[in-house]
Amino acid sequence: MKGTVKFIFKTLLFVLPVLLIFEVLFRLGYSPIITNSTLFDLKVIRLQKQHNKHLKVISIGSSVSLYELNSNIIVHNLHVPYYNFASWGLQISDMRVLLNCFVNDYHPRYVIIGSSIGDFISPSNDTYLNYVNTNTFIRNEFPEIFYFKNYSSIHQIIRRKHTAFPVQFDSWGGALLTIKAKDINRDKWNEHGIFPTQYTADQYRELDSLGAWLNTQHVKLIFAQAPIKASYANTAVSRQILQRHFDQCQSIIEKHGGTYLNYYNPAIFTDSLFFDQYHLQAAGGVVFTRLLVSDLKKIIK
Amino acid sequence: MLFTSITFVIFFCLFFLLYWFIFNRGLKLQNLLLLVGNYLFYAWWDWRFLSLLIASSILNYFLGISIYNSKQEKRRSFLLWIGLLQGLGTLLFFKYFNFFVKSIAAAFIAFNIKLDIYTLNIILPLGISFYTFRTLSYLLDIKHGKIKPSTDWVVFFCYVSFFPCVISGPIDRPKTLIPQLEKLRTFNYAQATDALRQILWGLFKKIVIADNCAAFTNDIFEHYQTLPASSLLFGAFLSLIQVYADFSGYSDIAIGLSNLIGFKITRNFDTPFFARNIADFWRRWHISLTSWLTDYVFTPLTIYFRDLEKTGLILAILINFTAIGIWHGANWTFILFGFLNGCYYIPLILRGTLNKKKKIATDRLLPELPALLNMAGTFILIMFTFILFRADSLAQAFDYYHRLFSHSLFMAPVIIEKVNTAATLVCILIMFAAEWLQRDKQHALQIDFIKNFPARAIIYYGLILIILTFTATRNSDFIYFKF
Repeated sequence: MKGTVKFIFKTLLFVLPVLLIFEVLFRLGYSPIITNSTLFDLKVIRLQKQHNKHLKVISIGSSVSLYELNSNIIVHNLHVPYYNFASWGLQISDMRVLLNCFVNDYHPRYVIIGSSIGDFISPSNDTYLNYVNTNTFIRNEFPEIFYFKNYSSIHQIIRRKHTAFPVQFDSWGGALLTIKAKDINRDKWNEHGIFPTQYTADQYRELDSLGAWLNTQHVKLIFAQAPIKASYANTAVSRQILQRHFDQCQSIIEKHGGTYLNYYNPAIFTDSLFFDQYHLQAAGGVVFTRLLVSDLKKIIK
Repeated sequence: MLFTSITFVIFFCLFFLLYWFIFNRGLKLQNLLLLVGNYLFYAWWDWRFLSLLIASSILNYFLGISIYNSKQEKRRSFLLWIGLLQGLGTLLFFKYFNFFVKSIAAAFIAFNIKLDIYTLNIILPLGISFYTFRTLSYLLDIKHGKIKPSTDWVVFFCYVSFFPCVISGPIDRPKTLIPQLEKLRTFNYAQATDALRQILWGLFKKIVIADNCAAFTNDIFEHYQTLPASSLLFGAFLSLIQVYADFSGYSDIAIGLSNLIGFKITRNFDTPFFARNIADFWRRWHISLTSWLTDYVFTPLTIYFRDLEKTGLILAILINFTAIGIWHGANWTFILFGFLNGCYYIPLILRGTLNKKKKIATDRLLPELPALLNMAGTFILIMFTFILFRADSLAQAFDYYHRLFSHSLFMAPVIIEKVNTAATLVCILIMFAAEWLQRDKQHALQIDFIKNFPARAIIYYGLILIILTFTATRNSDFIYFKF
């Protein structure tokens, strides 16, 4: 028995410096790799440090929600605890998975999805399950565990931090897209993404499931269709595809007691406010958020 | 529950504490906990096949006792045949059924006869090749009077399902493991610390070398048609290193885990890349399998063919190595892999040097030039057969060989991830150097002869730092799981 205790004690003593390496990495800002989205990982680690316990309103979505929902305008007009959980490339199915834990962790009463057609074009990203399937307490209080769960080497962690696209979050998880005209990639500007894709029908089903689930949780879903550049719908066919998408989303959202808001309005959102076909520049985001907030004031009590 | 997963670490830590602090009061208790741990570990992979493992244990337990108690030789042979048919039949069904059906159909097509073939969607039960060989050797050894059957069912069931080895070996013989199961294990501090060193070395080989090599070899074998021959050569080299680091790394971890719970099990690899001829190589590679086949296949065959002298020996070797190939999987690539390795023995048999064991000098820092050339030659011969081992089909393997021997062999290989490649090659060098320097030890990290603790600590932490820093992006399953 003595020998066993000595062995365990010495082993633990030996392992301790190894664990310290990771604590040092964490303190130095070399966060663990949780999912394959650098931005999402950064955001959840940052959120963990803020110790939010209760949020009345949360928003979620892809880059459209991240860049176009101006947190300052939302917080200063609605005066409610708010956080923006949006991350690059989230699909509706990913939002469904993530909301399952965000709703349980933060008990919001309203969920805003700032959406565009880009949220309905790809398959789910399974790496989010690594975050969602981790115990809530560990996820929120001890995120260092992610260094060991699906281990990533220190080499990868360091390389990821140094090659990541820089994002400056505001205090509520949002970020502004401020790219000078000369830095805008012309190809990106004119790119006309494919829609619908083979995954679109699945994403509608996921939206349906998400709406139904939020309804059972007594959380109101507010679906805000973000502006799209006028030139995207320059043919009758593309206008028809867009309209079909709007109608489909509206019927799903309203079926489950949610609110559908559509801000597709080329007259207000002129080309100069856009970065590419779907993303508004910071100035466009301000216009969009102001319009949204004026509608939210009628909904959020 | 991979040995390299956090789930396994938690499982093993809990098991270790229970094993040494609560269930250490009696042999029965200790074995019962071991059996529960074995089954939990196995069921974690696929609980459906646990029943097969238990059924096989029940049958072989009673067969063992019946064979031993039978006075008539005919009855003993009959009972042994039941055991052999059950073991090999189950193995054939799960592992080779579809292969046989497809091969027969392909043979008929050669005669312009199209068969309406019927294959099954069979999932291979994990570790079936390994635990079947354990039960077979148990029955054969009882029949040949080498051992007595175990009368304690818990002991026998633990022998069949011993968790550190159930998935990928080593294939321990009953005379090695059963006596240890029949005695209460007591904690041995020196054995446990050495176990941790061996586990650390195994982890280095598996998650740094094997998994990094896997990323390169997957890429090279997937795109071999577009790459120069020099890249294919590089792929063949890395592929052999990957298999070695993966399987010997697994074996090191398995042996280390066994040591931690008080068992000493069979060594599976003995620095095979320092072998100076093919016979020497196979004496050092997957030792538990080759020695099993030597005892139960090769030796009986040499007796059977003894009148044919050298031809008989060649026949026995070829059959034995074809069996080694078939054991690895239901694919013609494995069969040819085994056969080709058997062919490599023919010059040794003809020259009468098959049993000449060339010992590696342990008192020299570097090998002598002739020894080095022999090692390199053996390595190259083996490397070429491992292209068959790695290829998906014979057609792919032959195409790979064809492209390998072209003028682009002298071009610079295409390397995309230069930093990762360099790091992997440095780690391979470290592995070779450590294994060479420690060639007379049980494993490369057996450095308790260094009495200076800070010096030892620097080596341990250095290795840990390499593991933490260069672990491959994706952790892959151990290669031998599929066998």
